[in-house]
Formats: sequence, C-alpha cells, structure tokens
Amino acid sequence: MSAEAVATDHGHDHDDHHHDLPFYKKYIWSTDHKVIGIQYAITALLFLAFGFFLMMVMRWSIAYPEEPLPGYLSWIFSDEWKARWLQDGRVTGETYNMFGAMHGTIMVFLGIVPLGFAAFGNYITPLQIGTIDMAFPKLNMMSYWLYLAGGLTMCASFFMESGAAKSGWTNYAPLANFADGQIVNQFLAGQTQWLLGMVLLITSSLLGAVNFLTTLINLRAKGMTWMRMPFFCWAMLVTGFLLLLAFPPLEVAAIMQLMDRTVGSSFFTPSGLYTSTAGVIEASGGGSPLLYQHLFWFLGHPEVYVLLLPAIACVAEIIPVNTRKPLWGYKPMVWSIVILGFLSFIVWAHHMYLTGMGPVISTWFQTTTVLISVPSVILLTSLIVSLWGGSIRFNMPMLWAAAFLPMFGIGGLTGLPLAFNLVDLHLHDTYYVIGHFHYVVAPGILFGLFAGLYHWFPKVTGRHMNTFLGHLHFWPSLVFMNVLFFPMLIQGMAGFHRRWYNGGDAYLSKAADSENVFGNTVAEWIHLNPVMSFGAFMLAIAQIPFCINFFLSIFAGKKIKNDNPYDATTLEWATPTPPPHGNFTFDVAAYRGPYEYSRDDHEGDFFPQWEEPKRNKPAKEPKTSPVS
Amino acid sequence: MEIPYTVTARKDTGLFNSKVGIWLFLASEVMLFGGLFSGYVFLRIYADYPWPERALPIVPGLINTFVLIGSSVTVVFAWAALKMREWRKFQIYMGITIACAAIFMVLKGIEYKAKLEHQAVRMDDFAIIEGHAHYAVVGDDGKISHADTKTKAKKLSDSGAKPFKANAILFKPQTIDFSVARAHQPWVEAVLEQAAKRKSKLVTAEDLFLYGSIRDYAGTEQEPLSSKGRTNSEAELVAKYANAEEKAGHTFGERSLYIPAGTELSYDLVKQAREVYVSGRSHNAVARTAILKANWKKVKAARPEDKYWEQAPDARIDSATQLDEQFDSEGNCISGSKVVSVVSTLSFQMSPPQPIVIDRGWVKRPVKAQEGKAELRDDTSFNAGSAGDSAPGLLSSPLILAVDAIDFRWMAQKAEEAGKEPLEVIEKSWIFSEENKHAKYYKRIWKNHKARIAELEKELLEGYGRDKEGNAKRVPTETDRYRITWQDLVHYARVDQHEGRPPKPSDKEYADLRPKFWDGFAGPNHKDEEIHELHAFPELEIPHQKVSLQSMFTPKWNTYYAVYFTITGLHGLHVIGGAIVLGYYLFFSKGLYRRNPEWLANRVEVGGLFWHFVDLVWIFLFPILYLM
Amino acid sequence: MADTPEAIQKAKKQYILIGLILFVFTVVTVAVATVPWLDFGDHGFDSKDAVIGLLIATFKASLVASIFMHLNHERKTIYLVLLISAVMGIVLFFLTGWAFVDPIEYGNTVEGDRFYNPEKPITSD
Repeated sequence: MSAEAVATDHGHDHDDHHHDLPFYKKYIWSTDHKVIGIQYAITALLFLAFGFFLMMVMRWSIAYPEEPLPGYLSWIFSDEWKARWLQDGRVTGETYNMFGAMHGTIMVFLGIVPLGFAAFGNYITPLQIGTIDMAFPKLNMMSYWLYLAGGLTMCASFFMESGAAKSGWTNYAPLANFADGQIVNQFLAGQTQWLLGMVLLITSSLLGAVNFLTTLINLRAKGMTWMRMPFFCWAMLVTGFLLLLAFPPLEVAAIMQLMDRTVGSSFFTPSGLYTSTAGVIEASGGGSPLLYQHLFWFLGHPEVYVLLLPAIACVAEIIPVNTRKPLWGYKPMVWSIVILGFLSFIVWAHHMYLTGMGPVISTWFQTTTVLISVPSVILLTSLIVSLWGGSIRFNMPMLWAAAFLPMFGIGGLTGLPLAFNLVDLHLHDTYYVIGHFHYVVAPGILFGLFAGLYHWFPKVTGRHMNTFLGHLHFWPSLVFMNVLFFPMLIQGMAGFHRRWYNGGDAYLSKAADSENVFGNTVAEWIHLNPVMSFGAFMLAIAQIPFCINFFLSIFAGKKIKNDNPYDATTLEWATPTPPPHGNFTFDVAAYRGPYEYSRDDHEGDFFPQWEEPKRNKPAKEPKTSPVS
Repeated sequence: MEIPYTVTARKDTGLFNSKVGIWLFLASEVMLFGGLFSGYVFLRIYADYPWPERALPIVPGLINTFVLIGSSVTVVFAWAALKMREWRKFQIYMGITIACAAIFMVLKGIEYKAKLEHQAVRMDDFAIIEGHAHYAVVGDDGKISHADTKTKAKKLSDSGAKPFKANAILFKPQTIDFSVARAHQPWVEAVLEQAAKRKSKLVTAEDLFLYGSIRDYAGTEQEPLSSKGRTNSEAELVAKYANAEEKAGHTFGERSLYIPAGTELSYDLVKQAREVYVSGRSHNAVARTAILKANWKKVKAARPEDKYWEQAPDARIDSATQLDEQFDSEGNCISGSKVVSVVSTLSFQMSPPQPIVIDRGWVKRPVKAQEGKAELRDDTSFNAGSAGDSAPGLLSSPLILAVDAIDFRWMAQKAEEAGKEPLEVIEKSWIFSEENKHAKYYKRIWKNHKARIAELEKELLEGYGRDKEGNAKRVPTETDRYRITWQDLVHYARVDQHEGRPPKPSDKEYADLRPKFWDGFAGPNHKDEEIHELHAFPELEIPHQKVSLQSMFTPKWNTYYAVYFTITGLHGLHVIGGAIVLGYYLFFSKGLYRRNPEWLANRVEVGGLFWHFVDLVWIFLFPILYLM
Repeated sequence: MADTPEAIQKAKKQYILIGLILFVFTVVTVAVATVPWLDFGDHGFDSKDAVIGLLIATFKASLVASIFMHLNHERKTIYLVLLISAVMGIVLFFLTGWAFVDPIEYGNTVEGDRFYNPEKPITSD
C-alpha cells in the first residue's frame, strides 16, 4: 500500500498546477494534440539537423574528394566507424551512397513531412477548427511513437555491419534487392532496416491521416462550415487524403521488397539477373523492377505535395495577418488545392521517362504534369496578389513568407522543363534535377515552415522570438540557399551527374583535359563545386542563431501583449496562451469567414471568427469570399 | 473533457467519429490491397514462365470461404444483439465469430505447412520436378546415406548424427578460412560441432602475429629500425609470450595476439582476433588520415596557385604498400612506421578432412566442383586441396525426391520459342535419358500420360466438334499436355496395378480410378498407405549440377508463390488483428456495456465493418489464388 | 439507419438470406472452375473463366459491402471517401497497366520479347 502511495505522491511532485497528470503522461505519453505536435516538431527538427549534417559530409566529398574530412565534420564518428567507412579519412563511394540515400530519406520522410503535416497540423488544426483535441487522441500518440520507432530503426543501421541503406532514397529494385546481400541476418542489414522503418513510418502516416481527416470532417466547431475553414485546414484536408491514398501502394512495394530481401522472392527481380558478387542470381526471376518504380512514384509524386501543402498553408495564414487584408481568392485557392491533390495522383511516371515507357503514355504524363502547374500557379499568384495594396508588417514570419514566394517560384518554374519528355531525357539524373527539387524543398518549403515556426511560436510559448537573432538567421539563410542551389542548375545543364561522389569524373577530365559524354562542358563549371560547398557550410552557420533563438526565447523572449498578439482572426488566437488541455475557455463557434480584415462595416481592422455578431442586427452571413 | 461525437452522431455528417475513421481506414486498405492485386495482375500477365494456374488444393480454400462468410453473418448478428440489448446473444455470436477466425487461421497454417515441406526443382533443361526430398545423414565414417523419412535416416548413423534435407551442400575441406571481421558465430559453431562429431580437428598451420596498435613498431623516420631488429624484437615477443604463457594468457604487446601453430578453432579465438583486427584497422585509419592531411598541407604550402585537381595527384597516398614498411638498401625501415599490417583471415587445417554439411542458404553463390571452394555469406571459405589433389572438395550428394509432379510446360515453351517440336525436346530430356537410373519409371508414366491426353483430345473433339476451319473447337491445354500432376501419378499407378487387365483410357472404369478432388486435403499425401504401396510417387536421384534452381514451395520458388504468401499472409494478419479487437469487445467490455451500451454497439459496428472488409478481400482472394 | 428493434429484426432475416446467397455463389464459382460441362470459353482455364470468376466475386463482394456493411444506406461523406479511394485505385491500376502495355518504339520489340535482342539489331528503314 505504501509503495502505491509513494508512487502517487511522486507523481504529484511533477504536477503542473493546471492538471493532475503526472509528468510522463503530460509530456511523454501524452494524448494531447498540442504536446504531440511539439514532440513531432522537436523530433523533426533534430532529424532535419542530422540530414543537414549528412549533406555537409557529401558536399565536402564533392568539393574536396581527395582530402580527409575536416575535424568539424568527422568528430562525430568513432575511430572504428571511420576505419570502416572512410578511406584514409576520405569519403568513399559506398559511404557517399549511404549518406545520399539517408539524406534524402531523412529529409523527406523524417524531417519535412513530420514537421509540416504532423507538427503544424497537430498543433494548429484542432485549434483552428475550434475543437478540444483530435478525434482519436490515443491513435495520435501511437502515430508519433510509430514515427519515432521508424526513424530510429532506419538510423540505427548506421552503426550496423552493413551501414545504412545505400540504394538512393528511392530504393530502386533490383539494386536494393541485393545490396547488403552479404549480411547473414538480413533483418540487420541497412537496406532491410530501411524497409522496416518505412513500413512503420507509413503505418504512422496512415493513422495520422485517418485522425486528421476524421477531425476535420466531424469535429469542426459550430458554424465552422467548409468554406469558413482557414486555408490551412483545407491544406491539411487535402494532405490527409494524399497520405491516406498514396502511401498504401508504397507500403505494398516495401512489403514486397522486404519479401524479396528476406525470403528470396522475385517480385522485383527480373529473370537471369547477373551481379558481380553473386554471378547469375539464384532466384526464380520473373519479377518486374518497373513495378517497383510505379508503386514508389505513385506515392512519390503526391508526397511532393504532402511536403508542399503545409508550407503553402503556413504562408497563406501569415500573409493575411501581416498585410491586414483578406486572402485574395480564397475560394479559387481552395478549389486549386483540391484539384492539385487529385492531379498529383496522375502525374507520377514523369519521374520514369528514362525507363523506356512508350510515347503515348509518356505524352499522357507530360500533359498531366503540365496541367498540374495550373493550380500551383493559381495558388502562388493568389498569395502574391494578396500582398497588393496591403500595409505589410515585415515581422519575422512575414519575412520568411515573403521569401518563400520567389524561392518556391524558382523551384516551380525550373520544374517545367523537366515535365517535358525530351528535355528530361537530357536532364534526368543531373544536378539540374537536384537544383530544381531542392529549390522547391529547401528555400521553398523550409522557408514556409520557418515562417510558421516564427508565427505560432508566441501561441505555443507565450513569448516572441528575438527579432535580431531572427534577422541573423533569415538573411544569411536566404543568401546562402541561393549560393548553394543556383549553381546546381548551371552544372546540371552542363551534364554534371547527381551520383558523382568525388566531384565527378569532372575533376579527372579537367586534369587530363579529356572529353566526357557532354564534351568538356562539365569541366567548365567544375569550379562551382567549392562555391556550393562554401554555401552549404555557411548555411549551417546561419542556423546557429536560430537554435540559440529557439531555446532562448522559450525562457527569455519578449512576452506577448495578449492572447492575440497579431490581431489575427482565426480561432487558434482565441485560446489562452499556451492553450490548456481542452483548448478553449468558452463555447467556441465560428460566425464568419477566416480572413475578415479591414472590413468597412466593422470598427478595428480585424473581425475575428469567434466574435459574436451584435445582437440588435439580424445575423446576416457576410460573404466569405473576400473579393468585393 | 470529452471528445464530441464518440457515441452520438454529428448532425450534419450523420456519423460518429469512429465510423468516419474506420471508413477512411478502409479506403486506405482498398489502396493497399488494390496495390497488391495490381502487382499480381502485372506479374502474371508479364510472367516469362508458365504461371502455375489452379495450383492449390481447392478444399481448404473453399472451407475457409464458408468460414469467413459465416463469421460475417455472425458478427452482424452480434451487433444486432447489442442493439437489442441482448448481452447473452451478443456473447454467443461474437464467440462464434472468433472461433471462425481461429478455424480460418488453423486451416491456413495447415496449407502453409504443406507448402513449406514441398520440394521443387528446376532442372537446367527447364523441366520442373516437384516432390518430397529424402533425408540424408553423414555417418561417423563420413559416408552419406539417404532415407525417405527423418526417423529412418536417423537410424542410419550410430552416433545419432542429425539428418538433413538432401538438398544441402556437402563439402570436404582441407582448410577453412574464417573472416576475422565477419565470421558468423552460429556457423562457426556448426562447423566445430560437425568436425567434433566426425572426430576431426581444426587447427592453425603456422604461427600468427596479430597486431592491434603497436606504436612505432618499425621505428621512426629519424631512428629507423632495421629489418633484423624487427625480427629480433618479434623473437623477443615470442619468447616473452612463451615465458608468460601460464600467467598472462594469450595477449602480449599492445593489444596484440599471438596464435601459435596448432591452436584449435573456437569462436572465442575468432572473437579475440576480431578485437585485435578492429583496433589495428582503427589505428591504421587514424595514422593514414594524419599522413594524408600532412601531405595536403605540404602540397598546398608548396604550390598554392595550383588548382585542386593539379595538387591532388601529389597529395594522394596510393595504397597500403606504400605506407607499410619501406626498407632502404641497408634493410632499414624508412617509412610507414605507424601502420601495422592487419590479419583479416584466420586459416585452419582440417585433419583429417571430413565432410561438412552446408546449408543452402549459407553460401554466397552456387558451389561448383571445379572451383574447389565453397564461400559462405560471412566470407568464410572452405577450400579443397590444390589441383590434382585426390580431395574433391564438393562431394556428390544427389538430391533424392519422391516425385509427385512433373511439369514440362516451361520446357515446351522454350522449345517452341526455339522453333523445335516440344514433344521431341521433352522426350530427349535428362529425365528420360540413360543418365537417369530411374528413367524407366518415368518413361512408363509419360506413356500413360500421352495415352490419356490422346483420349482427352478425342473426347473433346467428339464432344464439341470442329469449327469452320476444321480445327477442333476444344483441345487439351498446355497444362493438360505438359504437366503431370500428383492426381495423374496416382491414377496411372492405379491403372498399371489394376487387378487383372489394366483398363484402357477409353474404358469406363479408367476414369473411376482417378482421385477425386477432395482427395489429398492440402496436397499429395505421401504418407497415405494406399498411395504409398502403389509406389505412385517414384524416386528420382537428381545430380546437383543438373539443378538450376531449387526451393520449397516458398516465395522463392516463383512469383506465384510469392504473391500467394504475401497476400494471404497480409490477409491473415488482418484476420488476427480483427479477431483480437473483436475478442476484446467480447471479453473485456461488460463494464462498458453496463455504462454505455450504445457506445459498445458503435464499437462493435466499427469492428464488424473491418471484419466484413477482411471477408470481402478473401472473396476476391479465393478465386484469384485457388481457381485461376 | 435501421435502429429500431423492428427494423433490426427485419434486417436479421435479410442477413441470413444474404449469407445463404454468398454460400451458394461460392459453390457456383467452384463449380464453374472444376466441372467440365460448366467450363466456358476453351477447354481448361482461360480469360473467360477469369472474367466469370471475377464477376461472381464482385457480385458477392458488393452484397457484403451493401448489406453487411450497410453501404446501401450510408451517409454522403462516406460515399465520397469511397469514391475518391475507388478512383485512385483505378488510376493506379490502369495507368500502371497502360505504361506496361504501351510499346517502346525505339527498341526492336519482338512479340512477347520486351528486351533488347542482340541477334536482331535495330535497323533504320
């Protein structure tokens, strides 16, 4: 009896004065959507930092392939690890492949998706639609832990005999079927761990998507009709559907490849395959490597929009607040995002032009790919036009959001040439592709997410982030992102291949003055390698102010003046700060659209969704479309 | 604080949360199984080998279909009982449902077991032979004997050596090399155990020095150590070791190991060597990295103007030899003093050489007699004696099967592709040739088969007539012609051994002798006495070099079985998951029933929806996998 | 929704009936596959048998979905969700299928041979 009593008392010591939950239940095994959102955010930021580190090692290898890693990159490795994976301290091709594959996987599946969709989505969505929590809080908790388990499973393989996965982030078969084949226990091979981790991540995402969609469908507050939902929630709705329907085929592919690797089936192994280590593979054959690619890219392309939509959603929330203007074209934007979601399912094979698809189907995918740029352009244009005539407050979130627009624009526009079959045949697997999608993801999506971080930080902590450190973070990031990524486009058009781990044959061809397949054009642009790497290292330094700012501001940032420091209209600002368990202190309802700024018929320049209309006037619905 | 709409439906959607959730989840399940079915369709359509159509015994699948449909009815009754607030009835119906799930899984288990015990062999001439492999055992004298069951095989060895499936590899090594870094403990121990059983020893042939991180072993640049000096100091170490043997154990020097000739193999020894190896490798990596860094410093200081790729060749350190001991004309060691040579393989002699049974899954690539070695996946190498030696290495250990099906479809397909007459190619194949000492059984079976097919052809012609062009409307299929099933074998054996005159195919009683479709519940029954006495399943001795692929009926055998195991396995996991959830409602929900019966009814409805979906998937799986 | 006791009583009879229909059609689908005189198309298994088998399976599945899973009277939201999912499933299947079927014109495709055949080099004509 006494033991129990002690245990309870012990729990009380850690109690917050608001609730009776013990510490571990409140902050670790939590079912509260806000805590889970924060857990996601912190985990994802850590994974992003790790992925960034992998990238720096790779950039070192590309710029200075003949030199050992410098101390500031290699201190993290033990001597034994270095002896196994580095050659005289230099990055080997195998290690580069491993880092490349894991950089891609970590950034996409463990960094940006959890940060954009899971962290922001979890924290903001229930607040914005005016409900107390997600529909299935326990499921929500399970999503997070499955995600963490999946991420750790993948990363654990760095320390195994095989090392982590090395077959690219796309894990193409049949290469990925046989990589690490020498490992006796296939479940402990990096390549298999990748698949196991992926199955866990997919399961986590599926549960998350079910949860989000149910919440959005069934738990909206009184008066929160579909067209009164903030754009952010619409983005989450579409993202949820993308995850729900696009991930299962990848799960199928992962399970099939898992079978191929562990029990020797031949789903993706063609007949008569020969490898240098095993000779003619002892497998039944009869499988189809292309099937893997189809299943992978059926997820792969919607996944791009899973990355993008949360970022665009953050920006779409921040712009109206800081321009004090309604979002321009709310309805077209909603329709665009829905159509975008649909179209993203029928464009996937533009990643596969080089696999020998026939001309008819190539034309189909080329056409749909070009089509999908229409809703994307509508979204971006609406955001840009939203700035027009506004009295813009250039606070930190707005700076990031403003930078998002042109940066994402470059990313999108450089994608257009890749949509065309003929151009893609030339540019496929060059640094042009790398440049294109990094422009989309890094200065594009990440800037959007940074904007969101700065924007909602006060709601989460009750304090603003420091502006000076913020500028110190923003400006160098903006400059060095471009120093890092713009040269990629140039090099790519010259034919610089994305998998050249040692700065490419380019160094050799320069030295020997030889010609490669692209003539000597690669060599002409080879001097950009160190420049880009310099950009990468400076970009890393530029993140230091952010880290300091982030932790410092939690404890010492400027306190916010009230619960709605930006005079915003959406429901998350109607809660106490930080929102308690249960979120709202009053019976919340939405009386109007989400972006009622600077209305002539209302005093003050904003009219919050939750503010009850005056009694004496008959409640007349204001038009939700801000165009008037 | 309670989440709204867990029990009652929301007004505008008309749904409670978990119902929205389950349907969303089922939508993603549709994509999951949709992806699997798509995979199945494309693998089947594009298979470059004859697909095993209608390969599974129907009865277990049929019973399982009934069972699942029945459980679908009872689960909906269980829900209705709850709605009517009849707890007792709910318990009964739910109990039946869960019992059905158990029956389903047991039947599935029986089916799986039959597959996993069924051996299949693809010959190098594309004949496919199926059957049960005999067991083999290596006697204490090293002689190999076969028997058709495990118990019989066990009796063949006096000391009770372990019988193994005859598809294992038997190798008689002179020496075995173990990779220090990778030797796999269970395999090392298996080798040791077998050697001990056959009274053979594994010992090192010569003295071995393993160096971990000897500092300045060969002296320094300023003070080089002569090679004579090296030998002396080595001798000193040996002496030191010999003196200190009793006291100090096996280590001497700095993290080093001395293994005198004649040391017996043990995994501990390998482990000790591994520690030394790892530390030696780390030591070298650190030393070489430092040297490379120093080189670069020198080169950059000397030629700062030069481009990177011009400096690189001078800074490079080429290979281990340049860094290892370099001697001047007087025999003084002048460079590479810091790098030690690491021992990565330990070689053991087997005396006297005895056969070792190697599992097929252990080898890196198929073992060929002329190569004189067998390489395992952990880099262990079994070496036969040198060329001209009497020791053969790979022992002939034929795979002996009790054959229960022969399939010439693939051979016929290959023959047709090559423009040859299939029947001629088949009749000239190995199985009917002089080389096969059991050929006469098979010639007889083939004769019977041809007679039956001729009769079938006649019957079809008589039954359905000819079309306008004079061709028979219906003809026997490729499967009829070229696949001899176990039913055929039993049939022919019964015909041949019919009391009195064997009936002709045209006789009425001929057809009566054929096994019925419920015979052989989960496949051919080798144990059935009647069949056994018939000798319906004759023996066949297959030399290993004639085999191009062998496997049990596992996913490895071909993509059909891969699909079968993957889809039914996933479906089985769904059944188990569903049964656990329903079981929870049955056994742990009385309290909830008393408190809030409507809530429990909702839960059961949702669980039931999942259960119906599992049933629905099976409704498709049954015809696709069993009937097509 | 059939929530009143009377409605549930009535529905129970329906469930039994549907269960019986499912049993019968399971037998039918096996019979079509095994009994010679119910063999449509050519002798033995062929595409016609596959179509018949799948049609019966689809019919059975739709019974399960509409009666047991109550999809015959469900809410709009759920129909919408399932519609989207069905469309995407069809997209996955048919676009992938199309990509497999569409011939590669720059190869020397021989009927049934999807790979480059060195014995028949590509000639320009």
